[in-house]
Amino acid sequence: MTEPLLRLDGVTYRYRGATRDALHGVSLAIQPRCFQAVLGPNGSGKTTLVRVALGGLSPLEGRAEIDGRPAAGWARQELARIVGVVPQREDNLFPQRVRETVSLGRYAHLSLWGRERPEDHAAVDRALAACDVADLAGRWVWTLSGGEYQRVRVARALAQEPRLLVLDEPGMSLDLKHEMGLFELVRRLVDTQELGVLMITHDLNLAARFADSLLLLRDGRPVAAGAPADVLTQEIVEAVFSWPVAMQTIDDRPQMIPLRQGPRP
Amino acid sequence: MLRRLVFAVLILASCRSDGRTVGRPAQRIVSLLPSFTELLFAIGAGDRVVGRTTWCDYPPAALDVPSVGDGMPPNVEAVAERKPDLVVLYNSGPNVIAAQQFERIGIRTVLLDLNRLEDLGPAARTLGRLTGLEQRADSLALAMDSLLHQPPPTSTPSTTLAFVVWDNPPIIIGRGSYLDQLAALAGARNVFADVAEPSAQVSLETIAARNPEWIAVLSDSAGPPAFARRREWRAVRAVREGHFLPLPGGLFGRPGPRSAEAVRQLQALLAR
Amino acid sequence: MKWTVLVVAAVAALASSVVLGPATVPLSELFRSDIVWNLRVPRALLAFLVGGSLGVAGAALQALVRNPLADPFLLGLSGGAGLGAVLAIALHITGPWALPIAAFIGALAALGLVYRLGLIGGAALDPRILLLGGVAVGAFAAAITTAIVSLADAAELRNAFLWLWGGLSGASWDSVLLVALYAPVPLVVLLAASRPLDLLALGEEPAGYLGADVEAVKRRVYLAASLLTAAAVAVSGVIGFVGLVVPHIARLAWGHRHRALLPAAFLGGGALLAIADTLARTVVAPRELPVGVVTALIGVPVFTLLLRRWTVA
Repeated sequence: MTEPLLRLDGVTYRYRGATRDALHGVSLAIQPRCFQAVLGPNGSGKTTLVRVALGGLSPLEGRAEIDGRPAAGWARQELARIVGVVPQREDNLFPQRVRETVSLGRYAHLSLWGRERPEDHAAVDRALAACDVADLAGRWVWTLSGGEYQRVRVARALAQEPRLLVLDEPGMSLDLKHEMGLFELVRRLVDTQELGVLMITHDLNLAARFADSLLLLRDGRPVAAGAPADVLTQEIVEAVFSWPVAMQTIDDRPQMIPLRQGPRP
Repeated sequence: MLRRLVFAVLILASCRSDGRTVGRPAQRIVSLLPSFTELLFAIGAGDRVVGRTTWCDYPPAALDVPSVGDGMPPNVEAVAERKPDLVVLYNSGPNVIAAQQFERIGIRTVLLDLNRLEDLGPAARTLGRLTGLEQRADSLALAMDSLLHQPPPTSTPSTTLAFVVWDNPPIIIGRGSYLDQLAALAGARNVFADVAEPSAQVSLETIAARNPEWIAVLSDSAGPPAFARRREWRAVRAVREGHFLPLPGGLFGRPGPRSAEAVRQLQALLAR
Repeated sequence: MKWTVLVVAAVAALASSVVLGPATVPLSELFRSDIVWNLRVPRALLAFLVGGSLGVAGAALQALVRNPLADPFLLGLSGGAGLGAVLAIALHITGPWALPIAAFIGALAALGLVYRLGLIGGAALDPRILLLGGVAVGAFAAAITTAIVSLADAAELRNAFLWLWGGLSGASWDSVLLVALYAPVPLVVLLAASRPLDLLALGEEPAGYLGADVEAVKRRVYLAASLLTAAAVAVSGVIGFVGLVVPHIARLAWGHRHRALLPAAFLGGGALLAIADTLARTVVAPRELPVGVVTALIGVPVFTLLLRRWTVA
């Protein structure tokens, strides 16, 4: 039994000066070829979870481990060779071409003074191809559509040649076509490249359709975890989101449809 | 009634403060330039000087006069506290503004030029008129004017010099300054006489290229100035050879009644 | 191709600094001239080193604080240097190296103060606070400086301001040697930070995820850029616009990858200051303009053109 790529074990964290825990007793484990989605209302602790999982914050209780070692103990450059992250926001101070920005992902593999080697160029090519943006390689980043830009960012994370991919709300502000395309891309990467994926998302339905395992948080505490069918039930969804829903099944996956009445007590 | 009004207006008009109109002789004078302080004492008005700047240190009797600050810019309140009936100022932009402020509170002012030696005579004469000491002022003016017209000494060979008043950046004295005149009267040529301004920033290489025999500095100590030890200044021959003319600030830093003495001292230094 | 042009321009700027000047030195005597070897050559080299250092420091700082308007003198160093110099004069500390050493110490004091302010939010250096802190510390130091100048007796203090306006008059083989030994260390530190600076353009969090040790990079870049600037001020006063404008011009041809941008900024900054100094020495000969005035006169129109380019694009 190999070590999971990422493991959280009873993690509790509270920000300095806060009145309640941002995370309390959260556990999860991500193996290769596992697409793990983390869901929950705003303020449920999803981004805090990513920060603790990647060693940015140290848990007050419990453990966060990557590849068997404590997450906070990894040096940044070493960690970047294992984990590729697509954060929610990034700045775009300088105009860049697609290929240039994807090449930034090779930083973790380059020596201090070394130039880019053939294997670096090859990794960039593979990442561009895997994300279906190879034909955009020469374009300026600011000319891309939202969906294209998001796929380029995933390509950059892939150029790191990670074993674990972490995406924080990647579908936000994408239209239907591009959001679907993104989830399809991630699913394909998990299946073909044996990656593990941790994705924070708002979209319950897409998570249920594409992910292998869901973790539902509320106020920093885990409400339900496991296969989509076990997590996305009418009772659980209505309790966590305080809204009446109807459930359907598509492709053997549960889908929830919000109803039009007022909130239930 | 109308006649009284016209009469009153006429009287008020004739009482306006004007340095040129000769009213009553000034009895309480504040001098805002060391040169004017020296001139006032030299024409016998020293006992009427009730205020001076911190820089006014000659004659020694001047030190007993209360100071009203460094005069740059003039401290209007400190001056007014001395209750002067005349304030003597050097004619410069900021001082024109200060003069207006004095006039506004009813204090008579006079702005005098004092850039080159030929300004000394007129300044002395004006002060003489304002104090009623015309006779002594005129004879002093005559003496100072004659300094200008004395022939340069032919016995000393013509030497060249440059006045360096600051080293980084190098600032020299040009022909707009009385120092340039002192040099000529002492029989030396200022290599920067082609610069019209009283002072100007120049490149070190210009000083080196013009190769003056002497470097004159305003200094009260006899040794070479601090910049003489800097490597780049040693490109100037006079610095390498230690040919410095240390000129005491009190005597050379201002044109005044002692300028003839300054010329004599400079001649003596050049003859070494 | 563009590197060739830049190197040729740099060499031409150096050459013109040596050949041209207010003193007429015929070409035939160039190699024997004392003036050329002891004054012009060290001055040209110092201009190049100082201009290059300011160019690199400016480029690195603009990336660090993620603000294209950053200039090395926004860090408060010039205020500290001026205060140090004025204190030395007011306390009658003399000696040929008194002013530069006092200015350097003053700059370091300002650096320490701004750095401490930058850490005010915790262990992480906040670039925005560095900028604001630099402006505040610089203004504070300038105010104290003005107070000292107006209260103290020494008439020389008024001339100290001329020094602060920027000038390479103090250039000699001594000062060239000093800078040539000192500058490579911070320059190499900045060059080594080229790739992390590229990553930093995405934001501190993304840069960290891509593998950059963000806190260490920020500290190193801030300290190295500040040390370069402190030396520049100590040796040649405040020379504005070089650190602000040269990186932008360099980006036009070399883009934003700092591996190429930093060396280009060095050569460009060096060439610019050498040319500006030559102009300062020759256009109103025998008088000399403060070189900070010349760089401003060149820099402002260039900057305006750059602004138009940005708003049009």
